[in-house]
Amino acid sequence: MPVKLGLFLCDCGGSLKNIDFPKIRGNLGKLEDIAFVEISHNLCLEEGEKAIASRILRENVNRVVIAACSPALCEDKFMRLLEGLGLNSDLLSIANIREQCSWAHKGDVTEKALEIIRMAINKARLLQGVERGEVPVNKEVLVVGGGFSGMKSSLELSRLGIRTTIVERESTLGGKLKELEGFYGLRTSPNEMFASMTRMIEEDKNIEVFTSAEVARVQGEVGDFAIRIRSGEKESSQSFGAIIFATGYRTEILPQDFELKPGGNIISQQRLVEMLQAPEKLARRPETIGFVVDFSDENSRLPTLSALKNALAVKDKLGSEVYVFCKNLKVDSEGTEKLYREARDRGVVFLKFEEKPRIYGEDGRVTIEARDVLLGEEVTLLCDLLVAEEKALPPEGTKALSSMLNIETDSQGFYQDENVHLYPVASGRKGVFFVGGCRGSLDLGRASTDIASAVGSVHELLSPGGAMVEVEKVKADSQKCRACLTCIRVCPHEAIRLVRVDSERWVAKIYDLACDRCGICAAICPATAIKFEGYSDEQILAEVEAI
Amino acid sequence: MTRENKKIIAFCCAESAYRAADRAGRLRIRYPDNVRVIRIPCAGRVSVLHILKAFEKGAAGVLVMGCQEGACRHLTGNIRAKERVKYAKDLLKEVGINGQRVKMVNFGPDMAQKFAREIEEMVEKIKEEK
Repeated sequence: MPVKLGLFLCDCGGSLKNIDFPKIRGNLGKLEDIAFVEISHNLCLEEGEKAIASRILRENVNRVVIAACSPALCEDKFMRLLEGLGLNSDLLSIANIREQCSWAHKGDVTEKALEIIRMAINKARLLQGVERGEVPVNKEVLVVGGGFSGMKSSLELSRLGIRTTIVERESTLGGKLKELEGFYGLRTSPNEMFASMTRMIEEDKNIEVFTSAEVARVQGEVGDFAIRIRSGEKESSQSFGAIIFATGYRTEILPQDFELKPGGNIISQQRLVEMLQAPEKLARRPETIGFVVDFSDENSRLPTLSALKNALAVKDKLGSEVYVFCKNLKVDSEGTEKLYREARDRGVVFLKFEEKPRIYGEDGRVTIEARDVLLGEEVTLLCDLLVAEEKALPPEGTKALSSMLNIETDSQGFYQDENVHLYPVASGRKGVFFVGGCRGSLDLGRASTDIASAVGSVHELLSPGGAMVEVEKVKADSQKCRACLTCIRVCPHEAIRLVRVDSERWVAKIYDLACDRCGICAAICPATAIKFEGYSDEQILAEVEAI
Repeated sequence: MTRENKKIIAFCCAESAYRAADRAGRLRIRYPDNVRVIRIPCAGRVSVLHILKAFEKGAAGVLVMGCQEGACRHLTGNIRAKERVKYAKDLLKEVGINGQRVKMVNFGPDMAQKFAREIEEMVEKIKEEK
């Protein structure tokens, strides 16, 4: 079918005064394949849309070029409009004559506008429609990790009627919940929460639990992940539509930072919690307890939070004197500022040092020496117990898991905390989500936000229409493909695999649902076998041609 | 090859640089009007062919504009683009075109000033050569 173009020009309510629209119409109207050039004042309003619709239907055009504002603003709207008319929305090309032309330059810019529109017309001539279709998706979800985040994700998904399987490495569920002394600002104790959540999971028919088990292999792509679960000697394979990782974190004292020797009078937060849970077992009540926070790690929200919480618990249960040695107290996570004030009101003493304190542990007491910035003096303190700073680290096995998934970790070793585009819980691989501690969301509030976000995304994916895709928008030509694996190696979304076409030949296949339409493969394919409709080599070069 | 019009082609990643260019317009930051922006889904979509063809069609300079390193929506797209730009530079030098006429730039979507500055710099560079 020959190309028949319809060109709409929008002068944005008459505000683009430095473009001569009638001149553009006169100039481009002469082109052979342009059926009409229509100047409108506001294409984005209802009457503008109506005008577009009636003109397209009347003239029966098969490509549409719209010269208006940025496609970042208007593309979705016009694509939906074309779809509503029964036209393929990929047959639309937009020329940005507002933000990148009229608004960016002083004086008459008709020439530049003309050229930008020519670029869009050149591209539009080569556009091909792409069909829409729904990819079948497995409706089950795998949750890796059975701590708070994992359990909560499963329960939330179950409420939406989605079946989940929890794989937990330990012999019981619960993770860090079993180790915590209390939550700040919540009346429920971690133990009660653990008990009620495990009970709910046991009663829930939608949730299956594997304990003492781990993920041994991940294959496939979103909608159809083939997972091998190893539990002891046994291995089983199962298919899932999406995966939520909630593998948590671990904490560790960093003795090298202070030349500390943990043990005896220098203890971890964890050991302190154990003491607080059974104060009657202590041989002697400690008179003074010191906490060290924020000296070795910039990202010290969690250690700060737990030190504050435990300092208050010490006041409640032991009544000891409490000193907190810090450089800067990080109080930006929710409720921490209030907690800090409460601690001060209750008599916890905060000492601010610029340099790391010198710590000596001898004769059953611990001596701390440092220069206090506020007093401007050397301070020496004696404590019965010193609670050392802990650092939050990714759990063991994170590296192995990330290489199995081919997903990168951030500078701290956590999953996906730093890429702004994937914020907050998605990963480079579609259908794989990270929530809670394993991506550095260490407090309960932030973990809950993560869970809500991931559950929402999974629910959207598994709902009807959630797996609607542009079929073969990026496609490898099976005749040209030489199965060199280049595209498979470069694909950041793990969306390409080799498939067998006959007894001798394998070719690359791009999975529409896993593909994120970046075009890296199309740029790198040495056989130019991959065509990215809308941004194919020909279409990009046609734009270049117009200059 | 016509150099008179001195056009600059900017391949702009839709996630960052294209938005930066839009923002420059919205803030009325003026920059030379001989730049032509081509919107691409990711800087990684640009191949050496596109860069060389742009010169063949008479462009005086080519800018490949992607996301900040480490913040590419497609993880490695901007890094691949950087490699290709480097490769294209070498090829251009071989045929006697100054390699500085092609440049990779990293953007955040709000860096409107930087967008304008990069265009100005490229225009200056081309002027100097003439």
